[in-house]
Amino acid sequence: MAHAVISCLHANLAALEAVLADIDQQGIATITCLGDLVGYGLQPNEVVDLVRQRAIPTCQGCWDEDIIEGLNACDCSYPSQLAERRGHLAHQWTAEQLSEENKAFLASLPLSLRRDRLLFVHGSPNSQHEYLLPDMDAFAALERVESAGAETLFCGHTHRPYVRELRDGSIRVRVRQMPGEPGGVAEAEDTELRLPLRRIINAGSVGEPRHGNTQATYVIHDEDTGAVAIREVPYEVERTCSAIVDAGLPTIFAWRLRHGFEYAERADDASHVCER
Amino acid sequence: MSQTLLISGPPGCGKTTWILNQIQSHLGPCGFLRLAGYPDEGLLQARDGGIDLAWLQDQCPGLLDLADPDQALAPRADNLLALIELPQFQPPTDSGLAGVDRRAIPQLEALHLSPDEHIHFGRDAVLPRQDTLDFSSLQAWERNLAGAVWDPASLSSFWFELVNGAYGDVYRAKALMSLPDGRAFFCNWMVSREGFQFLPLQTLASPDGRPPRLSRLVVQGKDLDPAAIEVTLADCLLNDAVLEIQQARLRQQEAPSHPSPAA
Repeated sequence: MAHAVISCLHANLAALEAVLADIDQQGIATITCLGDLVGYGLQPNEVVDLVRQRAIPTCQGCWDEDIIEGLNACDCSYPSQLAERRGHLAHQWTAEQLSEENKAFLASLPLSLRRDRLLFVHGSPNSQHEYLLPDMDAFAALERVESAGAETLFCGHTHRPYVRELRDGSIRVRVRQMPGEPGGVAEAEDTELRLPLRRIINAGSVGEPRHGNTQATYVIHDEDTGAVAIREVPYEVERTCSAIVDAGLPTIFAWRLRHGFEYAERADDASHVCER
Repeated sequence: MSQTLLISGPPGCGKTTWILNQIQSHLGPCGFLRLAGYPDEGLLQARDGGIDLAWLQDQCPGLLDLADPDQALAPRADNLLALIELPQFQPPTDSGLAGVDRRAIPQLEALHLSPDEHIHFGRDAVLPRQDTLDFSSLQAWERNLAGAVWDPASLSSFWFELVNGAYGDVYRAKALMSLPDGRAFFCNWMVSREGFQFLPLQTLASPDGRPPRLSRLVVQGKDLDPAAIEVTLADCLLNDAVLEIQQARLRQQEAPSHPSPAA
């Protein structure tokens, strides 16, 4: 059975509508959302309403958490003072616009969703704020998937879609015990655990693509065959950009979206886990 | 025997880079003067504000400033190479010295400078042929950043946005920018060239407060949005409290570790 995974909607209604229309056109009924429904975009209530209306199972993203909990993340959230100032501006605007009902909905979202051996998270199984970038150290990536007890991990947060297969993984363990300890020997032999194929599938971003062009991205995964398709969907970018400018938010927000450039710049230490 | 060259050309054609190469390959003393240039119809010259001189003096510490009145009156060394830079949008109508913009002559005379040769980018084969633009209209905007210190990651983002059109159709941007650790960079970009330069200055300031060096941003282009640039600058520059926190950390790292007292 094929199912669709969407992430990082960022209050971009035009993009979400285009993606849902594309999913419907594929005849896919099962959709999972990996969070970040709000932030940066101009239609947070409309986007949350649409997700609720379609009853799409959703886990909580970092923006969804920040809107509820407030900005109390550690230094890692923004890679520069400029990104932080702009992020705070967008946060304040979104917090003022979002209805109490929709805030309550975001607060109710789980941190992860699981369906058999498929695990759905926003950032990583550790945190909504952790980036699993495609070039992350293979052992660390494998650890994230394996320790969460998943075969396939679906994530977002980076805004760049990718499929990463972790093959031929193994963990070698050497247990040293001091003589005299119960059952102790001077040195135990190595134990090597062979790990089966694990996958990380990043759904990219519906509302704020950062993969080099402006098209919204999501993924379709076939549970029977394992096939993954990264879909790119054109949408009315200008509609969203005009709304940003009309609302009086900095024009740089629209410029970034119009060019498909990264907004919240890549963190210096992408594997850092926020200690909020 | 001393030689005085006047080098002219449009913005970003490589005048300063060529001059730097001449200074570095000349065995004797060198002097430099940058004239402001003159606007043409619809074309505004940017006020360099000393960026080129500061960059060249950092790279070539003995470089004489020919705009200094004391230098003008001082006897010149026999083997002095004097280089005069003149921003000029359009090629001269006459060749050689006859092509020197007449408006520059009084200023040169006041500094006792008389060019032996005038070469213009795009006209004279002795200069590298760069892909210079045919300018039809050009705005200029500049900002004095004396004492300003950048959040390094923010500088990188701002420069990316600036040269990719977030604040208007930028043709040319150059700047001297200071960082909290005492380093400074000469940032240089031209629309017709691939990539951009972030070149470190050799002179380091101590990470203790705001560096006294020249710092400035100059932008030329069309439909520039100075108000938006100002907003971004305000978000990129460090205030006193943040600067002190960052520099205190650096000073602590640099401080020699104290030997433990003898037992």
